[in-house]
Amino acid sequence: MIAAIDVGRLFELVWASMLAGVAVAITFSVVIIGVARAEECRRNRRGGSATAYAALSAVAGVLFLGGVAFAISVIVTK
Amino acid sequence: MGEDVVLVIVVATALAFDFTNGFHDTANAIATSVSTRAMSPRTAVAMSAVLNFVGAFISLKVAATVASGIVDAGAITTTVVFAGLIGAIAWNLATWWFGLPSSSSHALIGGVVGAAFVSDGPGAIFGDGVIEKVLVPGIVAPLLAFTVAALAILVIYRMVRNLRPGPVTRGYRLGQIVSASMFSLAHGTNDAQKTMGIITLALIAHGDLPADGFDVPVWVIVSSAAAIALGTYMGGWRIIRTMGSRIIKMDPAQGFAAQGAGAAVVLTATHLGFPLSTTHTISGAVMGAGAAKRLSAVRWGLAGNIALAWVLTLPAAAAIGGVVFTVSSVFGGGALGPVIVSVAVLAAIAWIFARRLASDRRLAVAEG
Repeated sequence: MIAAIDVGRLFELVWASMLAGVAVAITFSVVIIGVARAEECRRNRRGGSATAYAALSAVAGVLFLGGVAFAISVIVTK
Repeated sequence: MGEDVVLVIVVATALAFDFTNGFHDTANAIATSVSTRAMSPRTAVAMSAVLNFVGAFISLKVAATVASGIVDAGAITTTVVFAGLIGAIAWNLATWWFGLPSSSSHALIGGVVGAAFVSDGPGAIFGDGVIEKVLVPGIVAPLLAFTVAALAILVIYRMVRNLRPGPVTRGYRLGQIVSASMFSLAHGTNDAQKTMGIITLALIAHGDLPADGFDVPVWVIVSSAAAIALGTYMGGWRIIRTMGSRIIKMDPAQGFAAQGAGAAVVLTATHLGFPLSTTHTISGAVMGAGAAKRLSAVRWGLAGNIALAWVLTLPAAAAIGGVVFTVSSVFGGGALGPVIVSVAVLAAIAWIFARRLASDRRLAVAEG
């Protein structure tokens, strides 16, 4: 039974999946935090902070979309 | 003439399996989105159906094989494939009836294993292949997805704990639409190819295509894409209800954590050449997203029933596949056996659905 299990590949799957799953959660949460905080800052007339949060949100959004693009490439090329 | 009839029956049965595959697996992509109201049910199934259809055209690396590496290729005849498909369809319908998510791919493998076992004996089954491609992924997928989703929801709750609920809810609902789309696209690409492979295999066996250097006929691609999309659009609502609201009552953040973690696990596994069942993955992820918030939030009795269905998938589909092969073979090696089995299966399905409709009508009348 052990011969049928590639332990190295299994271990790679475990750490890579954990990294990918947590990265997706963090990236998208940063998008939400950025948008929500930017809204609050605008309401409180803190333009500089609003811009900074919006920029943070945009960067995280680009990273998230990059992940989506990579996922599509995995689907297409498998 | 007899071979032509068998070919038509195998193609029709493969498309029927494709339909039940879409029908059964709709929940994987949309159940969490529907339960958190990220999308309305009709919009969700329509989106999923369209992306399943599109996904079927994206990658056409169709292999004219079934249960490759698990069953000796020499044992795969059209009757074995037919019996395997009936085994898989029967198990898909049975688990749908009880609202239990289970792997359509494992059901198909089980059906073919059972039929090949009866036709060629135990030597036709590769034990290492069963362990490597069914047992190990069947254990790894739910446990890994459970852990990743649990980590993801803990990180999410920690990050957004000081925000107003409105933007958080809207944000994660939007994220769920993206992850549901990814799941649907991946499902169409992956699962429609299995049907294309089966039909191509039957066409090669019939002499309509060369064994080497074949191009998959356009009608095979279009019909496989249409069958899985139609099945998805019909929606297996019993399983959607189980996955979306009966295992845990989830909020949009949990829905996003489950779907995001599920997508991350499935696509990482695909990238590493270690294909996992989407059903096992997303079910494990839903449980993980619930258990990390509160262990008692998960209905563990239901989770146990789902796990039991997973354990039974291979042997049950194999038993049905074996019985169907035996019955088909009683009538000789021609078309008569598959014709009689097909008619019997269609009659049984019609009877079951007629009873179900009558029961629903009685309930509706009783409720006024």
